[in-house]
Amino acid sequence: MWNSKLAARIKDYSSAVLTVVDETTGYPMSVRCIPQMDATREVFTIPDAPPFAAGWRGKACLLFHTHNERLEGLRQLVVKGELTEENGVLALKVSEFVTANGRSDTDAMPHASAPLHLLQFLLLGRRKARAYLAKRGAPWPPIPYAEVDRALAEDARKK
Amino acid sequence: MPVLQLPADVADVLRSFYTCEVTTVNRQGQPMTWPTLTYFDEPNGQMFFAVSIAFPVKAQNARRHPQVSLLYSDPTGSQLADPPAVLVQGEAVVADVLDLFEPRWTALTRLATQRQPDSSAFTSNKIARRLFDWYLFKRIGITVTPTRILVWPGRDFSRTPQIVEVAHVEQ
Repeated sequence: MWNSKLAARIKDYSSAVLTVVDETTGYPMSVRCIPQMDATREVFTIPDAPPFAAGWRGKACLLFHTHNERLEGLRQLVVKGELTEENGVLALKVSEFVTANGRSDTDAMPHASAPLHLLQFLLLGRRKARAYLAKRGAPWPPIPYAEVDRALAEDARKK
Repeated sequence: MPVLQLPADVADVLRSFYTCEVTTVNRQGQPMTWPTLTYFDEPNGQMFFAVSIAFPVKAQNARRHPQVSLLYSDPTGSQLADPPAVLVQGEAVVADVLDLFEPRWTALTRLATQRQPDSSAFTSNKIARRLFDWYLFKRIGITVTPTRILVWPGRDFSRTPQIVEVAHVEQ
């Protein structure tokens, strides 16, 4: 399903990673490319697709992501769909927008500078972790915090 | 001698890029690609990363469909001059519980702190650590052994990629 709010965020990106699965080997294959969004038709076209990707068809995704030189300002968004060919140009017919932050209105990852977003992410993460453990049917081993602290202190001393 | 024999510029990319784009394949055959911080375990010729139990999709996918790929195409922060783009295809092995004192995890957390220095204020806060234990500590380790490596010199995807033979040297 098309998501106008997330689609609007894509204008900030200069490139994306296109991926399909090689049906012969089962391995995924990815290239970086410059997609063009057609919101009216809910399609991304890739006019100058890398030659390596020229014959790609089928289930595919486009990953848009960015970070700065301090690994902050994280944003990430995946667009899923079916990769086809339209008049000699690769085209991804969009089926879904997926974020990694549990939200459908932004691709920004949680950060301490946005406390409400961070709190929502905390609650989401705790809920999903509980669900994972319930399905797993066994508790997670206790976290050895004292040992973690000792290891961190030792690491700090070595710096 | 490293187990995996690679050209120097390719090894530099695997060591230095902050993130790579990891793809796993779900039950419906749909590839899903997400940026991921990985550690290049040179002595074993493998890539290692870990996912939170709250967001275990990569691990669940890789258990069912162990063929995965890692594209290194964004050099931001790496300080490499004109590095190539590298696509690693490989076989994933997924652990049940991440051993927090496993050397590869220790190395990966050290890398994360170096690359994201502002995160240390968060990870050293004992209250934050308890609240986010599901993110920081309750993790599933994933190890990828390369089977095929493709390289685009200068990250020029308009060119045909070079294939690097994956030669695992027995030690």
